[in-house]
Amino acid sequence: MTLLRLLRRSRRARSEWEEPLVKGRKAGILILALLLASTPIILSYTFLVVTSFANTIVFTPFINFKITWTTENYKMFFQGKLSPAAGQVYSTKDILTFIANTFIVAAGVTAVVLASSIPAAYAISRINFRGRANLMRLLMLLHAFPGVALIIAVYFIYIYARSPLYNALRDLAETGLVSKSFLASFDLAYSFFFVIVARASLEIPMSIWLMKGFFDRIPWELEWAAIVDGASRFTAFRKVVLPLVKPGIAALAIFAFLAGWEDLIYVYVFLPEMTLATFIHNQLSGGSLETTYLPVVAAAATIYLVPTLLFFVVTQRLLLEAVWGGLKG
Amino acid sequence: MAKRNSKKLALAFFLAPALALIIFFFIIPTLLTIWISFTNLYNWKIDRVKEFVGLQNYKDLIYFIQHDPDVEKVVKTTLVFTSLTLLVNVLGGLALAIFAYLIDERVSLSFRLLWILPRMTPIAVFGLLWYYFFYGSELGTLNSVLLRLGVIDQPISWGSDPSVQPWASWLIIIFVNGLVGVSFGMVVFYSAFKSVPRELIVAAKVDGATTWQIIRHILVPMARWHLVFVTVWQLLSLLTTYPHLFVLVEWGVVDKNYGTTWSLYVFLTAFSKAVNYQALAAAAAVILVIIGAILGLIVLRVMKFEEMIQPPRGDV
Repeated sequence: MTLLRLLRRSRRARSEWEEPLVKGRKAGILILALLLASTPIILSYTFLVVTSFANTIVFTPFINFKITWTTENYKMFFQGKLSPAAGQVYSTKDILTFIANTFIVAAGVTAVVLASSIPAAYAISRINFRGRANLMRLLMLLHAFPGVALIIAVYFIYIYARSPLYNALRDLAETGLVSKSFLASFDLAYSFFFVIVARASLEIPMSIWLMKGFFDRIPWELEWAAIVDGASRFTAFRKVVLPLVKPGIAALAIFAFLAGWEDLIYVYVFLPEMTLATFIHNQLSGGSLETTYLPVVAAAATIYLVPTLLFFVVTQRLLLEAVWGGLKG
Repeated sequence: MAKRNSKKLALAFFLAPALALIIFFFIIPTLLTIWISFTNLYNWKIDRVKEFVGLQNYKDLIYFIQHDPDVEKVVKTTLVFTSLTLLVNVLGGLALAIFAYLIDERVSLSFRLLWILPRMTPIAVFGLLWYYFFYGSELGTLNSVLLRLGVIDQPISWGSDPSVQPWASWLIIIFVNGLVGVSFGMVVFYSAFKSVPRELIVAAKVDGATTWQIIRHILVPMARWHLVFVTVWQLLSLLTTYPHLFVLVEWGVVDKNYGTTWSLYVFLTAFSKAVNYQALAAAAAVILVIIGAILGLIVLRVMKFEEMIQPPRGDV
């Protein structure tokens, strides 16, 4: 894993010069204070995972009842049973579809973000053109202005664009160029396409900034040499520069994937099928702890959390640097 | 001439995908939101987008703010939530960054990672964590702990019991959003501290400065621009984002009105089956767009942004 190697290399050797400011007992007190402040985070995640393996909700550090450890919750989730007493609400295939849907959205967002922001970041980093400064200002403004506030208009476009597309496809289906079954699944495909592109767009201003930071670090003499040797700008970009920013691309891909993976609002609004997010949402909205069997929901949530945690462990430092979107320039 | 053309071609190739997405999902939606706010669009009957009603939606909005107790609550919630969460996020982020800076770097790395976890956690999962933490019967973590400690003798429904409103709902949304937001300040401030020349700190220590003096007279003054930046940036995102509030409200963790800020009000007005009034929601969204644009411009100023847009070194 290139990323890991890069991260390891960036871990500088420690010298006297870099000793912590506070040592010994005082440091102990600081760490204790930090731990104390972190208890809600540590406890809440622990309760979630523990509950997913228990026959009851585990919600308090003072346990005064007996817990039976079990993987039954995960089995029930994959069988589509929402509680031990209830029958199958969903089939196993439904549940796998929810997981696959979550994955499709996340992978789609990743693809769209990579394909659009890498070239744009390259152009901004390397080419001087009229309007470049204004484009950068615009990107920063859009980065600061979360697009979720524009969702009404985006949904309007979603409805508005649907019927001409559907009609065009219907005409194509009549000529036989497109199969009838595709026409039937058009709505679903359209929703997936739209939710992916719309969700990806939210990430684009930040992604361009992040990627520009990576391109800026590559000495331009390298591609200049390639261009002098007769390579076109595209060849120089593809053969010389892209391989050098692989860690950046990996970072960008992870962020984009997580953004698509965690989304609730967009899939809730645009997607007729469920993802893990809307599955959990449906179990809890309008329900109550008395009617919702939480251990199964906890199992679903734990499964939902796994990719996030995986990426989390892999990226570590990179994550900490990139939270503010490569704003350092 | 051929070279100019090839440069244009390259530019078009590199920029087109991103520009298309930005136009379709930022520029057009912004203009469309303004347009819709002057029409009579409801129930997603999109033909109604041609029915102009002038400023009626804005007048309605002002009327609701003054006379509809629910909307009044939303406005109050927005003000309280935004200002207090802002305070938590900026000061909490500063405190975390200082603590992390003072201790051994490897220990601090694990804390910084831990605090960034809420930001990366899927919204539905993060909502679930606090769903049963704040649940209104003895099944909720908070209730069970308070009962156990003898602070209360009856479980309290934090989100619906009128005797603890509005503060119970407010504190819950501030707490949950604070946990997500505080890491932003932490990361920015920490990297600001890290860029303070080490010589400065060592010199101060040699001269006998206490740790507190180093914080007070070196670290914080060095990070003052970052403080302004984080404040404005967080203000903007607290005003305009709502996904976490959405799950807390929809799952009944908090009171519907005392858990709804202006941006969630926009969303619910447009998308909840009971209201479904897009024109009114758009008018409410335009207010957000205006505030967002103003704050965004301030961010550009604060960041000394002009220094960052210098022409590239390597243009061919």
